[in-house]
Amino acid sequence: MKNDGRSARALALPRAFAILVVLMSASLLAQNGQWLMYSGTYSSHRFSPLKQITTDNVSKLRPAWVYQPPGTGSVESTPVVANGIMYVTSGPTMVAALDLKSGKSIWEWTRPIAPSVLNLGFPRVNRGVAILDNMVYVGTLDGYLFALDAKAGIERWSVHVGENPTGHSITAAPLVVGDKVIVGISGGEAGIRGFLDAYDAKTGKPAWRFYTIPSPGEPGSDGWPGDSWVHGGGATWLTGSYDPELKLLYWGTGNPGPDWNGDSRKGDNLYTSSLVAIDIDTGQPRWHFQFTPHDVHDWDANQIPVLVDTQIGGRARQLVVTANRNGFYYALDRKTGEYVLGTQYAKQTWAKGLDEHGRPIEIPGMEPSEKGTLVYPSLQGSTNWASPSYSPVTDMLYVPVREMGSVYYKTGVEYKPGTYYTGGSEKRLDEESWGAVRALDVKTGKQAWDFKLPTPTWAGVMATAGGLVFSGSNEGNFYALDATSGKPLWQFQTGGAIRSGPMSFLAGDKQYVAVAGGHALFVFALE
Amino acid sequence: MRRTLLIVTCLAALSTLTATLAVAQTKPAAPAPVSEMTAGRRIFDAQCAWCHGNGGDGGTGPNLHGRLRHATSLNSIVDIIVNGIPGTDMPSFRLGLTERSTRQAATYVLSLSRAASRPGAGNAERGAALYQSSGCGSCHVVEGRGGILGPELTAIGSRRGSVYLRESVVTPAASHPPGYLVVRAVPNSGPEVRGIRVNEDVFSILIRDAGGNVHALQKSDLARVDRELEATLMPSYESRLAPAQLDDLVAYLATLRGAK
Repeated sequence: MKNDGRSARALALPRAFAILVVLMSASLLAQNGQWLMYSGTYSSHRFSPLKQITTDNVSKLRPAWVYQPPGTGSVESTPVVANGIMYVTSGPTMVAALDLKSGKSIWEWTRPIAPSVLNLGFPRVNRGVAILDNMVYVGTLDGYLFALDAKAGIERWSVHVGENPTGHSITAAPLVVGDKVIVGISGGEAGIRGFLDAYDAKTGKPAWRFYTIPSPGEPGSDGWPGDSWVHGGGATWLTGSYDPELKLLYWGTGNPGPDWNGDSRKGDNLYTSSLVAIDIDTGQPRWHFQFTPHDVHDWDANQIPVLVDTQIGGRARQLVVTANRNGFYYALDRKTGEYVLGTQYAKQTWAKGLDEHGRPIEIPGMEPSEKGTLVYPSLQGSTNWASPSYSPVTDMLYVPVREMGSVYYKTGVEYKPGTYYTGGSEKRLDEESWGAVRALDVKTGKQAWDFKLPTPTWAGVMATAGGLVFSGSNEGNFYALDATSGKPLWQFQTGGAIRSGPMSFLAGDKQYVAVAGGHALFVFALE
Repeated sequence: MRRTLLIVTCLAALSTLTATLAVAQTKPAAPAPVSEMTAGRRIFDAQCAWCHGNGGDGGTGPNLHGRLRHATSLNSIVDIIVNGIPGTDMPSFRLGLTERSTRQAATYVLSLSRAASRPGAGNAERGAALYQSSGCGSCHVVEGRGGILGPELTAIGSRRGSVYLRESVVTPAASHPPGYLVVRAVPNSGPEVRGIRVNEDVFSILIRDAGGNVHALQKSDLARVDRELEATLMPSYESRLAPAQLDDLVAYLATLRGAK
């Protein structure tokens, strides 16, 4: 599958390729210089095995080309590179296929999004595509999933995933597993009942739906009094991970609804603010782990779950690790869901710690109140949707961190379709807040180094085999750090806030690094 | 080339004005005075036919016979002429037309939409079968199925009138649609590449060949790039189909008005 960027085969995606995606270790494919899905591989390491760009030569990194999509939408997408073509998205819902070397578009596809389309609780953005065979899959702000021809951007099929007038929307990149496209839904501030959907990749025929909020009688429903489950939230608004051996999907779920007023939903509110391991064939949960039971601070657990194989106490462990929005880092056994360890990684004032099962030992009086309650972290959490990265070389998890507190207010709340169903608000402590790229030892969660940023970051992180960690800032800097020490080695000012995850690919035999900043996509190579 | 320029200005109007007038006519309105219609037609010919074709038969902008997608009444047509249609190439004529002229043009457009599409001689069902048997689907997509070399036809009937459709099948080179310019790149060494120009800047060009593959070429590697203004990759079906069959095929294409 080596491509030279000029090949006549450039757009041919043979069937064998699709089978490879399913069967082979995704990291092997990445070594071919591609970036086949949102988080790079099924393990979601967001780690590039490419090592032409190193700590020694990164100072010679220069812009190769810039792509400015049509329209005025922000670019928060991580590009996918498959078989010599890059697929990138822009807000509200636009997909472009780009030539790797020139950056010129081969096609552009835009879903017309009327001003009346609702985006309750998130910006009018799109964060990327999935690809299989000759199809590109993208969710739309108005709640559809489209399959586009990868060569021409022509629509092959579409399905209506969720009703936008009730706040359903899609901004996350779908995930392709086998012959299925998996797509999550946004709308956790609008009182939706969250779900995760699987569709047949060829036809769009529904395969299964997993509701993140159980209906009466289902396991977990005892944590939902009355009819509170109907608008229970639990959105699935980011992309999950997948273990091909266990045939398990790992997907994070969002806050319960209403966000800040939990009076109507006394109980744990499963499966909100949780990680759920879902059988890929049936859509049934095999295990779950709830980070924040009965969450009243909007601490979604949608952060990208990272699948890590490592040694702990001399024992080989297959883990799923995550730095959660609630301020704690967790490592779980990814086969059983067993809690392995957890530790605080950012400032938090709501829990004394975690008990032996990983359940938080909560400090009383930290819930939102009419007069306001100061709590760390803020509702946007100690980290948010920006992707972390794991380097198998350093065995560190690099986390985009937001150090910020909020005064949380509680108000009355009533469900009205297509409006906010939150029951409160917050006042952020903006001026004292700051951000960081924080390196954590995956075995312990302990901080190895910290690279400070002036404001809480929205930029994802990518580690590379060249010993580098790339990330961005709200101030427009795209920079490379030494993966071992956190020392800055290179930076470029993109001129717009970076709210996206970097990625890397080969075009011909040359390594490139890409990141979106503001309304454009920037691609870099050694001079 | 003139057509290409039209195309640039009017492109997205392709998927615009086509709505539900036939349904909305529960109470027939009094016909507009002939003088208003005549004036409206004059304005239409000067301002609108550029994209919507003579007599509203469709061009780069939609065919205006039959259901209009974005308007159901005289007032809503006026509104579209004044404000344009966001997200399409239908521009605002707020500055270009007076209130009276706008109303006259709208009156004419309303009359077009109420007149049925010009009757074709063909039979759409037979045309659908011909579409299959003639291999049209190997290059064109209808509702998600088909090849990608030629333009998507899912909504072609709402965009183009029968006259244009027939011409496209009989003499495809006469009016190739936007984005389908044929170019031939002759490298300094190696085989030439001929196909559709996908994208071009000062230093590079992307060409999709007849096999559907995209070639990214640096102009510094090329001896020349020829634009074949009169060429198309679409063969003429004039000699392949009998006149009555052409009528059937056109009748079928006219029924394609967007994904169901």
